[in-house]
Amino acid sequence: MKRSFKTSGAIAATAAAALLLSSCGEAPEEESEGTASEEVDYKACLVSDEGGWDDRSFNQSAFEGLEMAIDELGIDSADAQSTAESEYGPNVDTMVQQNCDVVFGVGFLLEEGLREAAEANPETNFALIDSYFNFEEGEELENAKPLVFNTGEAAYLAGYVAAAMSETGVVGTWGGIQIPSVTVFMDGYADGVERYNEDNDGDVELVGWDKEGQTGSFSGDFSDQTQGREVTEQLLSQDADIIMPVAGNAGVGAGPALEAADAQMIWVDSDGYESTDYGDIVLTSVMKEIGAAVYATIEEGTQDGFTSESYVGTLENEGVGLAPFHDFEDEVPSEVAEAIEQLRQEIIDGETVIESENAPS
Amino acid sequence: MSDQTVSPAAVQAEPLKQSTTGVRPISWKYPITYAVLAALAVLFAITLPAGARTHFRLSSGGDFFEIPLVELPSRPAGWILALILVGLAGLAIWQASQRVRTRLWLPLLFGVLFVLAFLVWAGADRGAVIPLVTMLTGALALSVPLIFGAMCGLVGERSGVINIAIEAQLLAGAFLAAVAASVFTSAYMGLVFAPVAGALVGALLVFFSVKYQVNQIIVGVVLNVLIIGLTGFLFSTALTQNPELWNARQQLPRLPIPGLSQIPIIGPVLFNQTILVYLMYLIVGVLNVFLFRSRWGLRTRAVGEHPKAADTVGIKVNRMRVYNVILAGGIAGLGGAFFTIGQGLAFGKEMSAGAGFIALAAMILGRWHPIGALLAALLFGFSTSLGNTLATIGTPVPSEALLMLPYVITIFAVAGFVGRVRPPAANGTPYVK
Repeated sequence: MKRSFKTSGAIAATAAAALLLSSCGEAPEEESEGTASEEVDYKACLVSDEGGWDDRSFNQSAFEGLEMAIDELGIDSADAQSTAESEYGPNVDTMVQQNCDVVFGVGFLLEEGLREAAEANPETNFALIDSYFNFEEGEELENAKPLVFNTGEAAYLAGYVAAAMSETGVVGTWGGIQIPSVTVFMDGYADGVERYNEDNDGDVELVGWDKEGQTGSFSGDFSDQTQGREVTEQLLSQDADIIMPVAGNAGVGAGPALEAADAQMIWVDSDGYESTDYGDIVLTSVMKEIGAAVYATIEEGTQDGFTSESYVGTLENEGVGLAPFHDFEDEVPSEVAEAIEQLRQEIIDGETVIESENAPS
Repeated sequence: MSDQTVSPAAVQAEPLKQSTTGVRPISWKYPITYAVLAALAVLFAITLPAGARTHFRLSSGGDFFEIPLVELPSRPAGWILALILVGLAGLAIWQASQRVRTRLWLPLLFGVLFVLAFLVWAGADRGAVIPLVTMLTGALALSVPLIFGAMCGLVGERSGVINIAIEAQLLAGAFLAAVAASVFTSAYMGLVFAPVAGALVGALLVFFSVKYQVNQIIVGVVLNVLIIGLTGFLFSTALTQNPELWNARQQLPRLPIPGLSQIPIIGPVLFNQTILVYLMYLIVGVLNVFLFRSRWGLRTRAVGEHPKAADTVGIKVNRMRVYNVILAGGIAGLGGAFFTIGQGLAFGKEMSAGAGFIALAAMILGRWHPIGALLAALLFGFSTSLGNTLATIGTPVPSEALLMLPYVITIFAVAGFVGRVRPPAANGTPYVK
């Protein structure tokens, strides 16, 4: 009987060794943080949502903003990755206890944890990425700053391009969870398709999102790629040939389905041409410049300029934007590219307003 | 064979209904359910607008011959389906009153027709088509990891070891499959390594729970956390730094079975799959036979029900458990491969997304029986896929409600039709001589 356990014992030892290695592996990273050139007495901290720092989406962008601040401003930093919803609050508290000057929470889902921490710790500054704080009536906090992005503006342009480039006359979109920071993309996209139809007397149809009824296709979370693939297959079976998944990591599941169907993808948050494996089918991306906003907030903080005033990324301040077409540069007709440029200007000038109940005001 | 001495039924997880004396009271549960559903179908038919049409798509893009869209006049189709359903419900009621045993075809046919009636109603007069094949393919794809996971849990628990770590085994399988496939640039190599990963997790589970008799649930939970952490760490270090070497996506090719894959609707769904899915059919079939008709199966069940008795007749209880749990881990690891190479995806953090826990539920819902667990997993996959379809064709139902659909259906299925289940008697108890 004993003999059969020897092998499993060896396996356990290997696993333990792997664990030890993993804990050693992280050390140098932390050491290097303190060695930046000019020392500024400022500590910026970041708490992720379930996606983690390598979600190829908004957590990653925020982290890149922090890294840039570490390199260029020489600040101290700390970060915590959440793996479950129950960790949001404790992770924010941990950051507060580490004497951070500013604590960033990435994502709508950290709102509650960050708001409670901001109420309890008036000395520390807090910045919430991608959502406003749900303060009670009349409540206002000096130390809580929302960083939000009116991605609807850029998604509007994406919707126009998609409608112009669709061969089947059907384009699609689906989301991870039905929350404002997701549906604002879908609203803008829907309006962009609509605009194309108006301007060109077209009849391009959108599947996966009904702006009026605010109902559509959602995969249910931001990590299940299998489900992401199946939702994409559903849209493909409705003849859609350009699809925009707004679902972080789950959106990656759209890749193989679109590839097999010879369809194209519009990525969100970061430039999908670089951040995903599916660069050759990424028509364009609706970008949210989270990194720049994080950097700007930290920079303000180092100069004692932190305010609770909200930052709203727009086309005008380049907080949101449409990524280059990359491989599709030659395929997008010049009149479409010109129309996009014109629409961008119209939105900046306020002639065209993207109306969405989900947009940050 | 030696299992002739013990009737298989005695060790199955059936409540002892037969022991109550006299005539059994008529069970009206099923007939009433049929009647309610048939009434609902009639309601669908009544509310259908005249002249409405429902479009069904019966083929997917890659079919050999494309069946054009099928356009049904919604109202007549709805009524015909509703009337058949009423007839079937009537038959069920008559059978119940006559104490005739209902055959399996009745609930199956009833279920299929009811879903069709519902789809005819939901898709009436919408611009969108109802993609039957895509919906069913999606249902199978969403079920595959659940089925593998449930088979893994079942082999373990039948031999008396509770396995909460199915999630970890799926994830480990997904991880190693992706890495091996990437390093050897061959999806089939991933298929070779995936079971190894699952079996390793299984080995850890038995190492602690059989050798050191640690509480099996605690070991399982810890293993889940360990594997999530380990794969997450390796993903954000090695796999992210050099994705071309470690995490380049590979896809198992689809292998359509000649002839069978050309059957309309069913063919492309069941027989135009990757080898992984064919392996799944094989594993479910083999387990179903071997668990109840072989020496290994009898011993496994004996070890899980009454280890002392098994030991007395010379079965090495703990060795049996060790082998079975490691074997089961291999099955789950194989299932994990579906997340990555099965779909042509690179590994992503926590990509198993809780499938292991649903698999556990499917196993219990299926009463620790391979076919039961298979059906439970398929039910879950199908309702998820149905929810996806309904969201896509633009029903006015809120998206959140549609995402709840699989859970709601599962709860009803558990509460209404499965009821009390009995796990193997020695499940979770370490055996000490």
